[in-house]
Amino acid sequence: MPPEGRLPSSFRDPAGYMFRRDGVLYRGIRDPGRFHYDRLMSSGLYEELVSARLLVPHEEIPSFREVHEDLYKVIRPEEIPFVSYPYEWSFSQLQDAALLTLEIEKRALRHDMTLVDASAFNVQFLRGRPILIDTLSLRQAVEGEPWTAYRQYCQHFLAPLALMSLRDVRLSQLLRVHIDGIPLDLVSSLLPLRSRRRASLLLHVHLHARSQKRFAGREVRVARGKVSRQARLGLIDSLESGTRKLRWRATGTEWADYYDDTNYTPEGLAAKRRAVEDFVARVRPRTVWDLGGNIGTFSRIAAASGAQVISFDVDPVCIERGYLRVRAEKEQNLLPLLIDLTNPSPAAGWENAERLSLLERGPADAVLALALIHHLAIGNNVPLEKAAGFFARAGRSLLIEFIPKSDSQVKRLLVTREDIFERYTREEFERVFRQRFEIVRRVSLAGSERTLYAMERKDIPG
Amino acid sequence: MIRKPHQCRIAAGLILGCAVLAGQAAGYIDPGTGSYILQIAIAFLVGIAFSVKIFWKKIAAFFRKTFAANKDGGPDAS
Repeated sequence: MPPEGRLPSSFRDPAGYMFRRDGVLYRGIRDPGRFHYDRLMSSGLYEELVSARLLVPHEEIPSFREVHEDLYKVIRPEEIPFVSYPYEWSFSQLQDAALLTLEIEKRALRHDMTLVDASAFNVQFLRGRPILIDTLSLRQAVEGEPWTAYRQYCQHFLAPLALMSLRDVRLSQLLRVHIDGIPLDLVSSLLPLRSRRRASLLLHVHLHARSQKRFAGREVRVARGKVSRQARLGLIDSLESGTRKLRWRATGTEWADYYDDTNYTPEGLAAKRRAVEDFVARVRPRTVWDLGGNIGTFSRIAAASGAQVISFDVDPVCIERGYLRVRAEKEQNLLPLLIDLTNPSPAAGWENAERLSLLERGPADAVLALALIHHLAIGNNVPLEKAAGFFARAGRSLLIEFIPKSDSQVKRLLVTREDIFERYTREEFERVFRQRFEIVRRVSLAGSERTLYAMERKDIPG
Repeated sequence: MIRKPHQCRIAAGLILGCAVLAGQAAGYIDPGTGSYILQIAIAFLVGIAFSVKIFWKKIAAFFRKTFAANKDGGPDAS
């Protein structure tokens, strides 16, 4: 009998599964995974990958085996503070995850092992860097066999990156619909003609799509075991250079230069910074969600307190810039992610349980909602009650900025729409939020009519 | 520009044709059959390209090392 608390996303691999017990995450290894796991541990590959921070480290838990006889071993991997999905990543986050996958495959081949999966969902971000979390996807390589994960690599990584780079960065959202990677025939039809001039895309996307179409459902006789080691390395090299050559410049959206065009005086901005510092110093959160975090300016203030901070924004340019800075500065506890708060990531996959919705991955200890409420209430017609309800589900403590209608940024929102927002006033905002939160502190930002509110969620029975 | 898709079709035909001709053992059907066949078909090409790349890198490294040594006054300089 499998242990209680088995993760709903962990059912495909006969070699093992993930389960949670007393809040701790474990991976059970079954008999089909036994040989490969032992090879991973004895070949030196595990040490090599862990010391290079390419694979999540784990410890073996001997006591579980006696309780669960169907398991050969139970391991406890280091837990990822926040699970994110490829459709929430920026271009460089997906590209780094792709290159990590290829680097692991190259190193594995040197130990006569291979990755049997190249799923982007097997990569997570830990301490600012991508890392492989699926220990059991490393198996003994069979001499002469092609790379079984080739199709998956192309659909999960190369194809979406090509679309983002050569067509439109927003096409990463196709990964939200196609959770086993974007079908290559679709990618081939969406990519511009010039993509065929690149050998790697011609081979691994366009011809690949054609080959899939040609042989779909057709009974064919194929030679087995005819791919030499050199050819396997050649394939990885070709995929790697094709992946590296794809570029995307993060410029040109309305939010990218937000901080060059704001209503804050230097004093107002300093007061806002201080308010965030005071808030995290008082609340001492372990986890912070910065909703509408732009490039992460205030997320970084929260991160400086040692909290694990997720900086969410709807703008791919902001997320890309935020991540490039995380990478350049080797920031350990900040993860920028692409989220549209008016339509956050849904639960997806088999039984709607393989991939979690945004709110299922919470709540956070603290939420920052700075210069956000007017976009929700006026830009998206979200009633204040609903906004307060959302924030109450997202976190326990809240630092929220109220921006009145008299503010030029709000006026700008109202230029092209009828003002049907009579209830969007400071008094009404306070009244509505008081139903769910205790207002702990108010800070007026000098030189503007904006106010920051520090709040604590009320425990409402039922 | 207009010739590109045509060239692509010819290349696809050649590569996939080679793959089918190479087939002889147990066949099977699954959604990844086309990926499997393509990989076998291009294995030779990418393997050769990789070998040439490695060889070229070694030559380049040799010349870089030689010129660097000469710049420093050569290995015999004292």
